Amino acid sequence: MKNIKDISTRLEIAKKKIKKNQIKNNGSNVTSIGTALKISTELVAAVVVGSTIGFILDSWFDTKPILTICFFIIGVVSGFLNVIKSAKKIQKNLKK
Amino acid sequence: MATNPMHQFEVYRIGPEIVLGSVNFSFTNASLFMVLSAATILFLLFISTKKKLLIPTKMQLISEMSYTFVAKMINDTAGSKAKPFFPFIFTLFMFVLFCNMIGMLPYSFTVTSHIIITFILAAIIFIGVTILGFVKHGIRYLELFVPKGVPIVLLPLIVVIEIISYLSRPVSLSVRLFANMMAGHTMLKVFGGFVVSLGLLGGWLPLGFSVALTGLEILVAFLQAYVFAILTCIYLNDALNLHH
Repeated sequence: MKNIKDISTRLEIAKKKIKKNQIKNNGSNVTSIGTALKISTELVAAVVVGSTIGFILDSWFDTKPILTICFFIIGVVSGFLNVIKSAKKIQKNLKK
Repeated sequence: MATNPMHQFEVYRIGPEIVLGSVNFSFTNASLFMVLSAATILFLLFISTKKKLLIPTKMQLISEMSYTFVAKMINDTAGSKAKPFFPFIFTLFMFVLFCNMIGMLPYSFTVTSHIIITFILAAIIFIGVTILGFVKHGIRYLELFVPKGVPIVLLPLIVVIEIISYLSRPVSLSVRLFANMMAGHTMLKVFGGFVVSLGLLGGWLPLGFSVALTGLEILVAFLQAYVFAILTCIYLNDALNLHH
C-alpha cells in the first residue's frame, strides 16, 4: 500500500513539473524571437556608429582613412561586447 | 506603379502646404496615421474604462490587461524605482503597437517603417535616459563607461569601446523597428505582386505564403513594440540603478 501511495505522490510532482516547464517554454518562445532580433541589430549598430564617428573625426583632422579604420575595428569590438552583455543578461534571467 | 513594392512607403502631402521659414510643416499621410493611431488608443481606452465594472467586459479586460502587461514589464526589468515612468512607457508601447497594427490594415500607411520616426522616438528615450542618469547620480553616471576590474593599461581603449556601445543604443533601437516593419511590408507586397502576375494557375502558392506572412507580420508588429518598450525599461534601469 505504501508503495502505491509513494508512486502517486511522485506522479503528481512530476506532472506539476511538466506543467511548469510547459508554461515556461510557451512564455519564452515569443520573447526568444525578440532577443534574437535584438542581438542581431546590436552587433550591426555598434559597427555603424563606430565607423560614422571615425569618418567624422577623419574629416575634422584630415587623416583620411586611418581613424575610420581604427574606429571601425573598435565598433566591431563594442558590437561583440554588446552581444556578450545581452547574452549574459539572458543567462541571468534563465537562472532566476 | 501598383506593383512597385516600395510605393507603399511614399510620404505625400494632404491638404495645404505649410512652410515656416525653411521648415515644411505640411500635414502628410504619415502625420495622418500617427494622429489616427493616437486617436484610436485614446478612444479605445476611454470607451473601455468608462463603466468601471467589477466583472469586466471584454473591452475593459483588454485595457486592464495592457495595463498589467506594461506594469509587470517595468517591475521585472527596471524595478520599483521605475514606477513613476509608467505613463511614458505605456504611451510608448501603445503608440508603437498601434502604429504597427494599423499599418497591417490594407491601404494604410505604416508610420514605423520610416527611420526618421523611429529614430526620433529612440533619440528622445536616449537623451531622456542620459539626462535622468546625470540628474540621479551626477558625475558618477560616467562610471557606466568604466567597468570594474580592468587593468589601467587597457582603460583608454575600454572607455572608448563602452562609449561607442552606449552611443549605439538609439541606432540599434530605431534600426530594429524600422527594418523589421519595412522588410515585412515589402515582402508582403512582393508576394502579393506574385499572386497577380502568376494568375489563376500559379498564384495559389504565393497566396498561401502571403497569408502566412500576414500572420507572421502581426506577430512581428506586437513583438517589436514589446522589444522597444522592454529596451526602454532596460535603459531606464541602467540610469536608475547604477551598477553592472
